[in-house]
Amino acid sequence: MAKIIVVTSGKGGVGKTTSAAAIATGLALRGQKTVVIDFDVGLRNLDLIMGCERRVVYDLVNVIQGEAGLNQALIRDKRVDNLHILPASQTRDKDALTNEGVEQIFKALSEDFDFIICDSPAGIERGAQLAMYFADEAIVVTNPEVSSVRDSDRMLGLLASKTRRAEQNEEPIKEHLMVTRYNPSRVDSGDMLNLDDIREILAIDLIGVIPESEAVLRASNQGVPVTHDSDSDAGLAYTDAVSRLLGEDLPLRLYGGQKKGLLSRMFGGTRR
Amino acid sequence: MSLNVDRDTSAFTFKGGMLPMTVMELTSADPEHIREQLAGKMNQAPAFFQHTPVVLSVERLDEPHLSLERICAVCRTHKLLPVAVRGGSDPVRQSAWALGLGWFPPLEASRPRPLESVSTNAERTPITEEEEEVTEMLPGGVGRIYRGTVRSGQQISAPEGDLVVVGAVNAGAEVLAGGSVHVYGPLRGRALAGIHGNPLASIFCRELRAELLSVAGNYKRLDDIDPRLLNTSVQIQLTDDQLSITPLD
Repeated sequence: MAKIIVVTSGKGGVGKTTSAAAIATGLALRGQKTVVIDFDVGLRNLDLIMGCERRVVYDLVNVIQGEAGLNQALIRDKRVDNLHILPASQTRDKDALTNEGVEQIFKALSEDFDFIICDSPAGIERGAQLAMYFADEAIVVTNPEVSSVRDSDRMLGLLASKTRRAEQNEEPIKEHLMVTRYNPSRVDSGDMLNLDDIREILAIDLIGVIPESEAVLRASNQGVPVTHDSDSDAGLAYTDAVSRLLGEDLPLRLYGGQKKGLLSRMFGGTRR
Repeated sequence: MSLNVDRDTSAFTFKGGMLPMTVMELTSADPEHIREQLAGKMNQAPAFFQHTPVVLSVERLDEPHLSLERICAVCRTHKLLPVAVRGGSDPVRQSAWALGLGWFPPLEASRPRPLESVSTNAERTPITEEEEEVTEMLPGGVGRIYRGTVRSGQQISAPEGDLVVVGAVNAGAEVLAGGSVHVYGPLRGRALAGIHGNPLASIFCRELRAELLSVAGNYKRLDDIDPRLLNTSVQIQLTDDQLSITPLD
């Protein structure tokens, strides 16, 4: 049985797709058979981040509507053997997704894969609700800012009430907090919320802190998930998060953005 | 299961709402008497009279036959919009309906339902349905207890009795009770106690950061709260129709 993990946030632009791609890649690199599904029908991005946009023929909606088989739509990743991508449709809208169709896809994928990663669209509408509905675990992606934290809080409320596990009174979805675009020096200067504040408000376990990093931007534009960039701060942070997802107990390490010492602050030394 | 709802075919959804509503408590049934007083008030506070919806409460009147039509007309000429009547005898109720107004049962007899919901059929809407299950009854019988974080967008209510939250109430969340609200954690959202008008209800919290505090309809926003009291343990009570916030320790 595959484990279904939804990557969600409520707010847009916080790094859901980047995180979904990085985590799926990380899991596959650890030998787990992984498929990553783009639920953002109409605004698909995952194929770009995964660097497979030129190989999309069929998509999620085609499969749900019976126009293509699942194996025709699945794209095998060029870099990692165990990784597949199921892209979203760019021309349909989210109403093309049905509960039953999504359930069937999950059932079929569960037989072949260890992990199903769902990249949720922003918002709390149908697309986002479908992406989370069948999930076993959720990774809630949050930026260190007030609006993002509040939207994540809303999302956690929905995860606890509007999902299959909640409706059927099963064991609740396991929730993980992933803080992205974390910039220690901006936290110190008070421009961003600090980690403790976020953890206190959201009150769920932290699975990773991804630093604000040029490596992420570079990775997105090149279509290579940042996990492959194993020298980068963000790549290391995602690798740690994947280890925690697989049940390892790693101490929290903050990569990148070492606190500026007194001297560098005085002389305005730049990092990186 | 909201997922199966076909959004294209539904024309509307019912939503529970807590709207601020002015209750006009009548102590005289004489339309002329009301007219005089309204004219005076209108001079004092013209800004209030902007087609403001009001509920006419006739509970304190002991008259089986009211000239409801004339009272409503007086209100309307002073830019008040009567939307419903509260209390009164059966003929009063009939004439309210005939005038197209809603009718609420008098406070004493009213079953636990928020008076603020002005819709004429004050049905409980499914907004709280998902959360209702997660609260347990308090051992004493009346009231409810919720363990965990009340998150943004969630509404937890105890229509009768007290509500106890063991955890945080986050910004954007709402907790309501017919009695008092007790929050053993930070209160960052909205807390409404005494929603049926009980002036003895209170709010207690470990860390005050509330967006809104209300006891029996008297409210304070975050901006109205003395900054020195923020993030401290407090109790909030109604004294002389004013919310007073006092430290607990």
